[in-house]
Amino acid sequence: MATSETQQLDEVIVSSRRKMLALGGAALAGLAFAGVKLADAQATPAYSDSDILNFALNLEYLESQFYTLATAGKTIDQVGIGIGAGTAATGGGSVVTKSGGPSACLVPWTIPAIQAYATETAQEERNHVSFLRGALGASAVAQPNLDLYNSFNTLANAAGIANSFDPFANDETFLIGAYIFEDVGVTAYSGAAPLITTPAYLSAAAGILAVEAYHAGLVRTSIFGLDPTGSLGLQGYTQKISATRMALDGSTTVDDIGVGFQTVSTEPTGTTLGASTIVDAQTGSPNYSKTYSRTTTQVLQIVTGNPNVVASGTKYSGVFFPNGLNGLFS
Amino acid sequence: MEKKLVGLIDKALSRRSFLAASGATAAATVIAGCGGSSSTPTPTPTTTPAPTAYTDVDYLNFALNLEYLEAEFYLRAATGSGLSSADAGGNSTVVIAPPTTQVPNLTTTQANYIYEIAQNELDHVRFLRSALGSEAVSRPVIDLLNSFNTAASAAGIGSSFNPFASYEAFLVGAFVFEDVGVTAYHGAAGLLTSKAYLAAAASILAVEAYHAGEVRTLLIADSVATATVTSSMVTPNNTYVGYANKISALRAMLGGGNETALTPLPPYSLPFDPTAYTPASSIVAADSTNSIAYARTTDQVLHIVYAAAPGAGVFQGGFFPNGLNGNIKVTNS
Repeated sequence: MATSETQQLDEVIVSSRRKMLALGGAALAGLAFAGVKLADAQATPAYSDSDILNFALNLEYLESQFYTLATAGKTIDQVGIGIGAGTAATGGGSVVTKSGGPSACLVPWTIPAIQAYATETAQEERNHVSFLRGALGASAVAQPNLDLYNSFNTLANAAGIANSFDPFANDETFLIGAYIFEDVGVTAYSGAAPLITTPAYLSAAAGILAVEAYHAGLVRTSIFGLDPTGSLGLQGYTQKISATRMALDGSTTVDDIGVGFQTVSTEPTGTTLGASTIVDAQTGSPNYSKTYSRTTTQVLQIVTGNPNVVASGTKYSGVFFPNGLNGLFS
Repeated sequence: MEKKLVGLIDKALSRRSFLAASGATAAATVIAGCGGSSSTPTPTPTTTPAPTAYTDVDYLNFALNLEYLEAEFYLRAATGSGLSSADAGGNSTVVIAPPTTQVPNLTTTQANYIYEIAQNELDHVRFLRSALGSEAVSRPVIDLLNSFNTAASAAGIGSSFNPFASYEAFLVGAFVFEDVGVTAYHGAAGLLTSKAYLAAAASILAVEAYHAGEVRTLLIADSVATATVTSSMVTPNNTYVGYANKISALRAMLGGGNETALTPLPPYSLPFDPTAYTPASSIVAADSTNSIAYARTTDQVLHIVYAAAPGAGVFQGGFFPNGLNGNIKVTNS
């Protein structure tokens, strides 16, 4: 793209932004294809697109480590994914696993479909790490220290599930472990998307948001399929986890519902039916089946298990991120 | 200054039209004539309209048309009744559907799934109508009968297909819509100027992706539930997975690629040994390198819902025999 054309556009946008907005969506779409950064024309916020992508990268490191350990018994750097700062393959933080190390995390699968789903998801989360690192280039943050052992015990305790919880023990506990991450990924990308100013990054974020929602739908459907009446207790676990996430993020309204049942009112008016809650969104007025979004602070509160607002300049740390996240949003 | 701006934007827009056109060209010859068995006459292409600058209202109304379609499909599958007059913006238009649409012989669990999705799509209609207020378009004429027969024929499934005939047929019908919804909202998200609308669109996009993940998971689960089982081997029954993949291939032809076929679950030995098994699935529809879900232009979505080969000037067909309501209804390429 010709630099002069880009500069010309920036200049024009600054001086007649109102007129451009009046031209509507297609004008902005045209600019998107021209590769222009709209951010250049706006007041500089306290963060950049890179900061938002790095925040997402921290979460993708976490997810990809979980799934790769479960399906390969290895960490992502052991299968060739870079975890260092910038383009460096090495130099990232460590991962706390159950005793026995990564190989002990390989789930002894008994359900072929769940093994297949987990393997697919692991690949996709690794692809997200690679994509974000590629997009960020030299700006990519290193993997922070991660904890995939004590974290689950702490959360299970806080949620009232058990004193300890091993998501790598079997197909069912793996699904519960996956459940902890996926809906949070959806709400995190949903909250971050409108903050992104570069159209290409916005489109990528929306595309990753969709994939996280595919995963969430996959995980929640699999849990409901294994425990369709709730008698196995899996539904109950998800409801406790959702309640814990809601308590951690400080939301005063419902922003998380577990896998279970609900009554819906469809057409013709007055018809009530017993339905599942595969989608993590309340039906009916006023939410109208839209998923929730979380601010970066709310996501930090969940992944670090810290409901309190930390002092300015202090990192949120704990649970999955024992030393906090890397990057501005930490 | 304004003239200069418009000139630059025109340049950018012509680039966009070119990009949209190039992706679709290859498919054009393959699908030619696929509308032959349709009861709807193939529209005669008119002259290529100039690219129009659409507003947020136009994009939300475009989405509302798609939600009307999804809501009619799921509500009828759930209860046999479609949108009420109040939710359809009046009752002057018709929905063409088989005489019986409530899916028969559902287990409680299967019904749970269908009722939830029906409520979600009804909610999306209500939300968009409320957000658009007096600018909301009413429900266009919707065809859930000939459209599926035509699609089944074009996809090579058979001469007819009733998505309300059984649970499995319903899943294939749902498969027709959900991944398209994801790509449509993804494509539109980047075009919205209002951050509030963008946030809402992202949230609906997510729900469509939950549904798509759910439907694809249920198709695979059903292939296992109906598998051929011997003392030493389980071979999933991929009849309906196969139908879904034929639909996926048809959508790819009409909608500029942007598809990931469902990978059947590989057969497995009994007793099951996970270390000797090569698991494979593709529940997520996304590009295989970056695992980012696809986006479609409004043009690509129109070609899918009109069941029409790439080309400019198409304004009706398929699920919308009289076209969409609103400003986005004629294909540009």
